[in-house]
Amino acid sequence: MRILVVEDDRKTADYVARGLSEAGHVCDVLMDGQDALFQAIRNAYDVLVVDRMIPNLDGLSVVKALRAANVKTPVLFLTSVGGVDDRVEGLEAGGDDYLVKPFAFSELLARVNALSRRPPVQDQKTILTVADLELDVIKRRVARRGQPIELQPREFKLLELLMRNEGRVLTRTMLLERVWDLHFDPKTSVVETHMSRLRAKIDRPFDAPLLHTVRNTGYTLHAAL
Amino acid sequence: MLRSSLFRSTPFRLALGFGTLFVSAFLAMGLIAYQLMNAELSQGLDNSAREIWEVVAATNADGDIEDIVGAVDNYARLSNGEDRIFVLLDPAGNRLAGNFTKPPTESGLAVLSAEEAGLSGEGNYRIVSGKVGDNWLSVGLSLAETDRLASIALKSMAWALALVTVTAFALSAFLATRIRRRLDSIANTMDDVSDGKLNSRIPLIGNGDDIDAVSGQINSALERLGALVDGMRQVSSDIAHDLKTPLNRLQMVLETAAEKIERGEPVSSDVAEARAEGHQINETFEALLRIAQIEAGARKARFAEVDLASVVSSIGEIYADVAEDDGKTLTVLAAAGSDDWVIGDRELLTQMFANLVENAIRHCPEDTQINVSLARSGGRIVAEVCDNGPGIPLGERENVFRRLYRLDKSRTTSGTGLGLSLARAIADLHGASLTLEDNKPGVKVVASFPTIGNTIGQ
Repeated sequence: MRILVVEDDRKTADYVARGLSEAGHVCDVLMDGQDALFQAIRNAYDVLVVDRMIPNLDGLSVVKALRAANVKTPVLFLTSVGGVDDRVEGLEAGGDDYLVKPFAFSELLARVNALSRRPPVQDQKTILTVADLELDVIKRRVARRGQPIELQPREFKLLELLMRNEGRVLTRTMLLERVWDLHFDPKTSVVETHMSRLRAKIDRPFDAPLLHTVRNTGYTLHAAL
Repeated sequence: MLRSSLFRSTPFRLALGFGTLFVSAFLAMGLIAYQLMNAELSQGLDNSAREIWEVVAATNADGDIEDIVGAVDNYARLSNGEDRIFVLLDPAGNRLAGNFTKPPTESGLAVLSAEEAGLSGEGNYRIVSGKVGDNWLSVGLSLAETDRLASIALKSMAWALALVTVTAFALSAFLATRIRRRLDSIANTMDDVSDGKLNSRIPLIGNGDDIDAVSGQINSALERLGALVDGMRQVSSDIAHDLKTPLNRLQMVLETAAEKIERGEPVSSDVAEARAEGHQINETFEALLRIAQIEAGARKARFAEVDLASVVSSIGEIYADVAEDDGKTLTVLAAAGSDDWVIGDRELLTQMFANLVENAIRHCPEDTQINVSLARSGGRIVAEVCDNGPGIPLGERENVFRRLYRLDKSRTTSGTGLGLSLARAIADLHGASLTLEDNKPGVKVVASFPTIGNTIGQ
């Protein structure tokens, strides 16, 4: 993937660019808002990683200008401003995701991957299958090997998200935001608790586990390798 | 010492304005009274001049002028000095009787000066003339008396005017100076405050007037400001203190790791520990920033109607299993769909209840029963988060809302000491009160929200 990183702090930019390159992506780094706007319009990037506070033109304005110019490249905002308002502002300006500094690189990578492969809304399938696990979004039914499984509404939402992102790592924070709509870091093991309950329902009765924990990062759902 | 020129002060200008208005009104009133008096006096004089003329003329008989000559001479002789003047002329213009010589030649009323009338004295005369038979009779009355009265009236009015003017302006200046002095004391206090003396207060007179009331309000604002600044100082030093500990630990971990690397030992556990410490420090800052942002109040712009019951029941959905896994029971008594709407921010309200429930889960021993309930009471929506755990001592109940404050017994559990401060900040933003009460045993956190109608009314 071709990724443009717009970040004026040299250390952060290097950290992000090195990590993304190691993960196999082609990465351009710019430190200036105006340059970023021109580059993003001229080149077909797959994902833009944009800091909110950059010289000449702030990140928010860059993305607004891009959206006005009908450039639909997914944007991940990076910022040290950890306010909720800033997150909402960023999303309203046309950003697709938001990550507050300091962040673990695995978190950034997971989010960039999720952004780049997010399918257009109209293409979303209504029956999801991973190996022998099947989930019907419309009928709200889950079955494995033909055996129906009863899930709580939140567990259903959690499983749906994991299945739509088959094989991709979803971090704890991403799950908190997308499943429980919690935009802060809980002090209790919310994710772990619900994940273990889901696991008990979809994995424990069967011999081949589908739900995998990625240490220090998050969770992923895929068929046994 | 007055801070600025008296003439530029608002109270003085105001008093001056009123003084001028008052003096002008008095002047106008005086002028009207003077005019009326003058008119009345000259009317009276004219009438008596005419009356005397009629009386004298009545003594005339056809062809015999002896009676009228006698009457004119009698009247002239009886008149005191030259107060009243009379003259009777024959058709040729020779004086037949009287005490003056040059009457007007037109019949009716006229005003003549003494000189014009051929008299030695001064002053004016009101003269009535007319033909009596073939002869010409003129009767005049001196205007000296009315002129004197008018001049007395004018003089007394001038004195009164002078007195009123001086009094009005002196009083204005006196009142203005007094108000000015009080405004100056406010300005001096504000100067002190600008210079950093936050304990400076405006002296109150205690008569309860408007300036006193405003001063009192400024004083209480200063009181709050002072408390806030003190709180901030306290928080700054608390932060410095609270962050120094994990920073020290972080440094020690890194030193240990560096030594291990020199000895060629594995350091992955140290790195994990350092990461955890770093995470903790970041979290503290994150929470502090969040509180600051919430207190700044910008989020109010995004307020909408929120169903508190659905917030509370989603908290129940999220945390019931978490509590169960931790050996506690969480029960939520809130029927979604009931009329528990407030004006607020769903995300923040969720965080507030999450913080309260997490506090109960983390700080209570196993087998604790945690209840979350929602009820309407006296026009407010009251949410309670209760537990039957060990509780919080009475003296500490307000302290736990302070930033970074942690009870000694919970110093060992992880946490930033900011959860309740954040909850309080969110409650404040929503115009709700958040208090700790005794649940006998345990803690009862009570959040009391205004209902929608009451929020709009505020």
